[in-house]
Amino acid sequence: MKNILRLLNKDLLRFLIDKPAVLLTFLVPAVLIVIFGSIFGGGSGSRGKIPIIVVNESKVDIANLLEAEIDSSNSLRSIKNYSDEQGNLLPINEDKAKEFVKTGKYPAALILPTNFFTDTSSSLIIKYYYDPRNEIESQLIQGTIQQTIFTKMPKLFPLLMQNQAQSFLGTVKADSFKTDIAGMVSSYFGTDENEVLESMTNLDIAEMMNGDTSDSNSTSSFDVMNNLIKFDSEQLVGTEIKNPGVTRIVGGWAIMFLLFTLTGAATSIFEEKQEGTLKRFFCMPVSKSQFLWAKYIYSILLGIVQLFVLFLFAYFLYDVDIFSNFSNLMIVILASAAAAVAFGMIITAFSRSLAQANGIATLFILIMSALGGSWFPVTLFPDWMQFISKFTLTYWSVEAFLQVLWRDASIQDILFPYLSILIGIAIAANYAAIYLFKKRQVF
Amino acid sequence: MPILEIKQLVKSFNDVKALNQVDFSINKGEFFGLLGPNGAGKSTLMNCIVSYLNAEEGEVLFNSKNIKELDLSYRYKIGYVPQEIALYQEFTALQNLKLFGGFYNLSKSKLSKRISEVLELVQLDDRKNDIVKNYSGGMKRRLNLAVSILHDPELILCDEPTVGVDPQSRNAIFDMLNELNKQGKTILYTTHYMEEAERLCNRLAIIDYGKIIAEGTLSHLISLLDKKETVKIRKAQESVSALSSIKSIGTITETDFYFEIIPDSSLATNSKIFEKLEQINIPSHLLELSRASLEDVFLNLTGRRLRD
Repeated sequence: MKNILRLLNKDLLRFLIDKPAVLLTFLVPAVLIVIFGSIFGGGSGSRGKIPIIVVNESKVDIANLLEAEIDSSNSLRSIKNYSDEQGNLLPINEDKAKEFVKTGKYPAALILPTNFFTDTSSSLIIKYYYDPRNEIESQLIQGTIQQTIFTKMPKLFPLLMQNQAQSFLGTVKADSFKTDIAGMVSSYFGTDENEVLESMTNLDIAEMMNGDTSDSNSTSSFDVMNNLIKFDSEQLVGTEIKNPGVTRIVGGWAIMFLLFTLTGAATSIFEEKQEGTLKRFFCMPVSKSQFLWAKYIYSILLGIVQLFVLFLFAYFLYDVDIFSNFSNLMIVILASAAAAVAFGMIITAFSRSLAQANGIATLFILIMSALGGSWFPVTLFPDWMQFISKFTLTYWSVEAFLQVLWRDASIQDILFPYLSILIGIAIAANYAAIYLFKKRQVF
Repeated sequence: MPILEIKQLVKSFNDVKALNQVDFSINKGEFFGLLGPNGAGKSTLMNCIVSYLNAEEGEVLFNSKNIKELDLSYRYKIGYVPQEIALYQEFTALQNLKLFGGFYNLSKSKLSKRISEVLELVQLDDRKNDIVKNYSGGMKRRLNLAVSILHDPELILCDEPTVGVDPQSRNAIFDMLNELNKQGKTILYTTHYMEEAERLCNRLAIIDYGKIIAEGTLSHLISLLDKKETVKIRKAQESVSALSSIKSIGTITETDFYFEIIPDSSLATNSKIFEKLEQINIPSHLLELSRASLEDVFLNLTGRRLRD
């Protein structure tokens, strides 16, 4: 038993001495739990509201009510105005809404058209323009709107059903049907037949709006009523994409693995230092900057090849179209690789040993991947987390890949801000790394 | 004519002065030894000479020119044999030689010729296509040396090049270095093995706690000692039990197998020491008389043994 305790003590001591291991064991899971918790609602802070353009062309009471409900929704943030180049605040119309969705400014637009609802409507007509680059987000928007209608104005549906029956049977047959039903109810319950008929015919719109059933838990009614809301959906972006699922995620996973590979390449400076080859080079006619440049170029080439192979796999196995916008894809790959290598260099410059560098790198890569959108769309994050995600290179790389693969973006489209930020990160991090290399005498 | 001059070099790591006003010079063609215990500052000095580290004070002159003012070209004339096996172990010997040799602007034919020459010198020509990690420790050490002399440097800096090497390979390395010295190469050799320094170097400096505490030829350093011989008592039951009596003769230093006596001034001659030992019943077969060595010089200068 004593020996077991001694061996246990030895293992504990070794673990505690290995600070990167301690860091990875406790800090990484803790940070990831916070991120996951925040996304799925269990953590600190609420999930961020999904922005959606709302254009109310109808202005009937029901449309106004729906608009008001979306305005006060916990999960949607309604966008109705935009600023023009002069800074004037203008209302968004249907055309502008389509443009904003097409360019990726907002993920979806909800148009309540002039024919949204009339006295004879058998269903609500809603135009829905969307960019399914984020499938979860798109489903959430549709689900939230349906739920809002079902729960906030449930008594609207008898009227819609009556109108539907009328349009199906014709006015004469429908009136006869209603009279028959009123007669049956009257004889069965002993009530006045005319009263029943009147209450069936004169459904009060104002009353419809007061019947909040958000506490009810009837899911079957959803199925019945689904066809009473006509979502006139139009996918504005990515219609030609053969495999939307893989196209959406491939960039995120690519940048995560790129970060692991290139950080490894950068931290190999420590391996060379340990092996003595670094010192041997610096005793030869080789300068430190030449060595760093070679390491940098090698890492970028490695990154380019890795990403290219990964995208080729996606092309052959999952039909992800990488060749229709190939030159821009390669530019994003190059910018991402440059930023990822610079990240590796700065981790190396900050660290004192290979183990420390690997520990810090793993910590940052996992956190950046989670925050930057490699694993989940950032729009699902709480607002504060969405704000932080913009400080990760993963975010800009993932967005740049999506622009190229999903939106078929041109070089002008991706230059600002995506490429500029990635290249800016690469330059700034490299300068910082070189400064730290000199100051801390890493070599 | 000095090829290398170290002038008042100071290098600190935090509060520790690794080099404290180190000052010596090496002439062309010399085999110069730098002897000191582990942590004395030998490797730090080497790192400053090859400008891997920057000294805070002092200067290093190569052929009378400050290395800080020279561009990288002076490194063409220096060959550095690091303490580590600084090779790519997943490469073959030939790949390593081609890689490192490529940085010296040698023509393809010249490089090829030099590779053949150094492989022959280090006796690895028949194993040149083997992966280095499959080599024995001695073979790796020899290749480590070969890579460093590929460009035919004027000055070879050897930083403890025989650490962890079997006696046979160590002798082979000594022979190679002697051969290179005969060819006119200047060699600076650091070690904590006094036997190596005694065997190889015609002039040496002893370094301790970052300071040069003695410098000169071996005979000059020995001459610094009052006594040129040392009396040793082999450890045995008789000598161990009589240790307190032995201590009355003088200062005792203990090694794995011997007690070494630094006698009091009253016992000026060896005969008086032997007489005293006989009086305390130390059998004569346990006694040895040996010529003073660098170990004794170091002990005399510092009061410590080299390998303490």
